[in-house]
Amino acid sequence: MDREEYTFQALLVDDKGKIPIEAKYSAKFAVQIKFLDDQIREDGYEFRNLVFIIDDEQVDLGPCRFLTQSEGDGHAGYLFFVGDIYDLDSLLFHKKKVILQGPFGNLPIILEHKHKIRQQFKDYTASLTYDLSVYKNLFDSLDAEYAFEPEMVRKVVQQTIIANEGKTFFEYFDSQLRELQRIVADFSKEEHERHGFYFRKQVWNYITLTPFMRRTNLKPRGYSGDSAMMRMIYIKEELGDSTFSKLLHKHCIERPAAEAVRNRRTLIANTLINKLSNSVLSPGERFKVLSVACGPAFEIQDLLSNPKDCEIYDFTLLDQDKAALAEAASLVGQIELNLGARIKVGYLQESVRTMLSTLRLASKLGQFHFIYSMGLFDYLTPPVARAVLWNLYQLLQPEGEMIVGNFHVSNPNRIYMEYWGDWVLYYRTEEEFFNLLKSGAEAARSTTFDETGIQMFLQIKRLR
Amino acid sequence: MKNTKDTMKVTLHPDWDEIEPLRLQAHDFFGSHGLSGNTIQSLVMVLGELLENSVKYGSYKVLNGQINISINITKKIITIEVTNPIDDSNLDDLKRLDQMIQWVRGYQDPFEAYIERLKEVAKKPLHDKESGLGIVRVAYEGDVILDFFVSEDNLLTVSAVLTR
Repeated sequence: MDREEYTFQALLVDDKGKIPIEAKYSAKFAVQIKFLDDQIREDGYEFRNLVFIIDDEQVDLGPCRFLTQSEGDGHAGYLFFVGDIYDLDSLLFHKKKVILQGPFGNLPIILEHKHKIRQQFKDYTASLTYDLSVYKNLFDSLDAEYAFEPEMVRKVVQQTIIANEGKTFFEYFDSQLRELQRIVADFSKEEHERHGFYFRKQVWNYITLTPFMRRTNLKPRGYSGDSAMMRMIYIKEELGDSTFSKLLHKHCIERPAAEAVRNRRTLIANTLINKLSNSVLSPGERFKVLSVACGPAFEIQDLLSNPKDCEIYDFTLLDQDKAALAEAASLVGQIELNLGARIKVGYLQESVRTMLSTLRLASKLGQFHFIYSMGLFDYLTPPVARAVLWNLYQLLQPEGEMIVGNFHVSNPNRIYMEYWGDWVLYYRTEEEFFNLLKSGAEAARSTTFDETGIQMFLQIKRLR
Repeated sequence: MKNTKDTMKVTLHPDWDEIEPLRLQAHDFFGSHGLSGNTIQSLVMVLGELLENSVKYGSYKVLNGQINISINITKKIITIEVTNPIDDSNLDDLKRLDQMIQWVRGYQDPFEAYIERLKEVAKKPLHDKESGLGIVRVAYEGDVILDFFVSEDNLLTVSAVLTR
């Protein structure tokens, strides 16, 4: 049945008493009604209360206005709320009492949140938003000039503007980021949080027009650093609806922090190939590899360059996110098509936080020659990071190796990521990262860095 | 109880009456490390909430089912860990906890998560008496980073980390 076909018994209350009615869902914020007392009410008549009975419970929805209707379908007219506007779809079909204006109830605490913002920060933000608005207007006006040119002409003109005026904008934007870094340098954690919230409210229009930042802020999958964000970084595609939005997007994905993410992909592939070349496999034995929080698993294409490579590996890809595993599976399918060979790969949708209780890991998965995890430890606090690392270590075969990544505390884009991107990582020093592995482990370990010095790697070799 | 200067370890029975004495003990422990009054209040609140959740949602059918509490103070961070047994009936709760913790930590400012959660709570079903704010309120008011882990022997450890 369509929603419009459902009828509900309800009551209207005025000064004279209660009037039984039959209500029919007609729209999210209005109902069509029949009076069951056969009285006629004039157009615009206001009732004190509309009452529905849901699961034997009286639900008061407050005052509403009656508007007559001219269609002759047997209904007297419509009821509209005049105070709180209730979502009737939620109420009648999902038993949830949702008031349209509900979020206004939080207004006082949100407004109050700005009171501890430092004046210098307010001045900085105001000046920045003025400048950004000027830049945006300029770039938009240029876009308008060539909007109706042939596509090829548009593309070339836009590329020229990005290469020239875009460069000037980048210099300006970089200087503003340096200034932001300087202003917040002595902030406490609580001040960073509060000022970051204030900042994003001011620059929200620029955030939403930048594909990368829109995603880091809105987190459509409910967590930071999802596989779609990684894909944007890996592919470095020009995204954006205008020259200005393309510039902001390009700026994000060309920073050293993004470069570090790209670097780790090649480093993983090289480390793995190196490990494989130093390993002795029994006849018929495959080189078992576990990728934890695998994301789109782009590095697999760097490992497999011919059909013979596919016969060597046995991959297990683990991620909490079904969509990430689907992306990885699609990539694997594409590689298989290109090489004309089958890849041995298993997919596991599991969270690292709960996998032990659900998997009984070692008995289910066996042990691995090589385990890696790149974008995971940046989100784990020390107690959880220690526990996860220890359990991964136990999944290594004797002589097996593991490499895990973590951003170093010195990340020069940290403030940019946190204030603009609403993207917070758990940063570590070398010492903190090195000491994550419990002392009981019989292992050789070392820390290394990528070329940017941002991406730190902990390499562990199980000795026995 | 195994205490050192910077670590306090306590084992409790899953009994509501045991929570308040432990809160007081933790209060003194934090105080002995020269933490400010506000920080102590926040941490004691966080500990209390984690303990209440532990009593409420833990699975203590096994003989000697207990709650282990560990508090560690270093120069850079303060860590509170509360560990309790669970069973397979907790798996859906764990998934929700996992999603909620990652969601909260997706915001630089836990206040923003709190506001977003308030909006969601306003949409809760008519008969749902839970506030649905628990974890978010702890993260926001305690200004701690929450996380958790389940070990192979079905012990759930929820941790709260305060960076100094």
